[in-house]
Amino acid sequence: MRPSKMTNSEFTAELKNTADPVERLARHYENPAAEARSAASGKTPVVGITSNTVPWELVRAAGAFPFIINTGNADCPDICMYMEEGVFEQRIRAIFGAAISGDLGYLSLLLIPRTSEQEYKLYLYLREVARQDPARRIPPLYLYDMLHTRSPESYSYGLQRTLRLKERLQDLTGRTVEDAALIRAVVESNSARASIRRLLRLRRRGPRLTGAEALALIGASFFVDRHEYACLADRAAALMEDRNPLAGKRLLITGSSLNHRGLHRALEKHEAVVVAEDDWWGSRSAGGDIDCGTGDPLKAIFEKYYFDAPSPRVFPFEIADAWFQEESADGIDGVVFYLPPEDCVAGWDYPRRRRYLDKRGIPHLLVRENAGSVSEECHAVIEKFVRGIGRGR
Amino acid sequence: MPEKQLDCTRAAGEHQKSWFARLREDVFQKQRPYAIIQADMPFELFHVMDVPVVSNQWWASIIAAKRLSGHYLDMLNSMGFHNGLCRYCSLAAASTLAEDPERAPWGGLPKPALLSARLTCDCLQRVFAIWAEAFGSECVFLDNPGATELPVRWWELSRRRWRELFEEHRLEFTVIQFRNLIKALERITGRQFQIDRLRERMERVNRQEEYFDEARHVIYAAPKTPVRMHEQVTNVMAAQWERGSDWAVQHARAFRDEIKNRAIQGVAACPGERVRLMWVGAGLWHDTDFYTAFEEEFGAVFVWSMYLAFGPDGYIRYGLDDPLLALASRTVSMNEQLHNPPWANEWIVHQAKLNRIDAALVLTPLGTRPAATGNRFIERALEQAGIPVLPVVADMVDARDWDPDAMRRKVSEFLEHRVLPPIPNARRHVS
Ligand code: SF4
Ligand code: SF4
Repeated sequence: MRPSKMTNSEFTAELKNTADPVERLARHYENPAAEARSAASGKTPVVGITSNTVPWELVRAAGAFPFIINTGNADCPDICMYMEEGVFEQRIRAIFGAAISGDLGYLSLLLIPRTSEQEYKLYLYLREVARQDPARRIPPLYLYDMLHTRSPESYSYGLQRTLRLKERLQDLTGRTVEDAALIRAVVESNSARASIRRLLRLRRRGPRLTGAEALALIGASFFVDRHEYACLADRAAALMEDRNPLAGKRLLITGSSLNHRGLHRALEKHEAVVVAEDDWWGSRSAGGDIDCGTGDPLKAIFEKYYFDAPSPRVFPFEIADAWFQEESADGIDGVVFYLPPEDCVAGWDYPRRRRYLDKRGIPHLLVRENAGSVSEECHAVIEKFVRGIGRGR
Repeated sequence: MPEKQLDCTRAAGEHQKSWFARLREDVFQKQRPYAIIQADMPFELFHVMDVPVVSNQWWASIIAAKRLSGHYLDMLNSMGFHNGLCRYCSLAAASTLAEDPERAPWGGLPKPALLSARLTCDCLQRVFAIWAEAFGSECVFLDNPGATELPVRWWELSRRRWRELFEEHRLEFTVIQFRNLIKALERITGRQFQIDRLRERMERVNRQEEYFDEARHVIYAAPKTPVRMHEQVTNVMAAQWERGSDWAVQHARAFRDEIKNRAIQGVAACPGERVRLMWVGAGLWHDTDFYTAFEEEFGAVFVWSMYLAFGPDGYIRYGLDDPLLALASRTVSMNEQLHNPPWANEWIVHQAKLNRIDAALVLTPLGTRPAATGNRFIERALEQAGIPVLPVVADMVDARDWDPDAMRRKVSEFLEHRVLPPIPNARRHVS
């Protein structure tokens, strides 16, 4: 994760001159905080979110600007005063570094969901730093405690927490969240989802775009107004539909989450195309639409995130593995398991998922390096793997 | 194994061994259901349903003490589970996956009727589901709601004002989950849960923890500790795993009496005590000799670990009109209290002051990384309170990367340079 490269005004000026929708989305992806910062300078309350299980629609309907934080300050020297080495993943460290160094001071709220245990700990750590050292400009914090076990009590608990979140957001913006506003936000986010699905269709059989391109085009949806996103993504998809299919071997990535394109680029250097990733940053970012037809939009929104958002805490295995099993058996030439050195969760799934692939004769490769900087040795292994697998299963 | 100074310690060891032999016999011969559960589970629900429980962490500590952890963890790695995964909670599961009961301590764990855990991290449901599948047993999980209100001096509220301390929605959610667990236990045993039995059991747990409370007062009031830390742990945990049973309450009383007598008679665990050490984190189960290694040369004695201190502060609950709710309050925040800011750092500094601690060793369990959270906050808080800290990078059960000599040297240097007054070495050795 790197800090925003440009200042707001540079970014806006450059964007105005960029007509190509692919390029525009790529710019948003590379400058993930740019829109949020300009919203903040325009006096719109900005809510920074640390991962995918927060109801975007609710924040939007409350009149705030929601965005996922994917910039950070992993080099902040103070991180090691509080965070243990090797315990937190890089992205969480970077968010922590950004928060304690004041870089997130423009946020009206830092909204931390319970997607993973690391995020809960991030919340507790930031609270404590704020208590011990009030001089640091840590934004107000909020834990959205939606749990991910599939049980009636976790469902009710999550719904209750969603109502509490709604109240907190109303307090923040001073605006009552009416059903009509929720429905408008749902329409907007559903249109972004439809555009993402359109892009995703271009990745599967006869892929028209590389995985590295796809990750940027999809990822931009986390950082911009979703209406604008849908327009750009649709135009980008229309342009890409005319491309010739790419010839590489079709790979699926599973394992730890990837908030950057390092592994995609490394794999695609070797005549492979990453056509899917088991990850909320890529193929699993959109999922299904929210259906407000039931007359209770808040509940419909909650259910979308409860039932359809990936998280390492989703359980049992049948549910947690469903997407992976279906997708890997659907015209994939090979699967890459990504378990970076800091992994301590996805590794538990690896032998089980490997067994699943072995039973079906699907080739797989394990990458245990940090994909931010893939070594020559690892490149050689990838090359051999890609060369060794058949095409068009 | 370090020397046992207390009669209680011998009794606790014998009790555990014979308890486990009886359990195996009951399971194999009478098909009696038993359960394997995580250390932070509400044991009381199992006890009142007459379902014996084996704690995952206890079994891991037994494996480690028998020096079998390397074997099992190597085997786990060879099955494709990489060696960066958490080891403390998976060691006992590995001993089941190994399928060689001859090698396992005390004949190994028989098949449980149930496994159960609270989801305090993202790996536990995976470990327990894999384990349950290997046994062919049922598994029940309790999800773990997050805390958002954390009044700093929690131990001042936990006994009587626990309803205020732990947020209402967290307690209610936990109670609903308890009810599901109770249903599973009723199904397994064919018995009906009785709330009055739970209330009585919780009252007895209070008695037990009151004895421990008195015991810790004796320890920190005595000029020199009458009982070493590792003997505290053996006695306390033997009773905690079956808290509220007649044996446990009686053992807690006997433990209190024995150390009280020692204190009255002026008996010190280490007569040459000059430095009082605190151990922060789970025990170093594969090398318990470590805890007495610095007595002779430095007069440095481990006098404190969380195990005794947490009993009274973490378990006592007065006002048992709704025992399920009280039990929920005892269960819901153990992880925050023991590991995470602000609760863990504030409590540990408070304990360090009470116990006149001179220096602390903080376990940074790199083989069990998620369990290392909160450590920097604890270390900083101790240092700010004037207590020098040595972080110990090691795993509680895995001896594979542990170099006992190097670690002892490191502690010696720490004691020499940061803790002991600068007196010539010669004098120190003469004393
Ligand atoms: S993080 Fe803690 S609870 Fe989870 S597996 Fe590791 S030691 Fe066990
Ligand atoms: S994380 Fe802490 S409380 Fe949980 S099992 Fe590990 S040592 Fe025990």
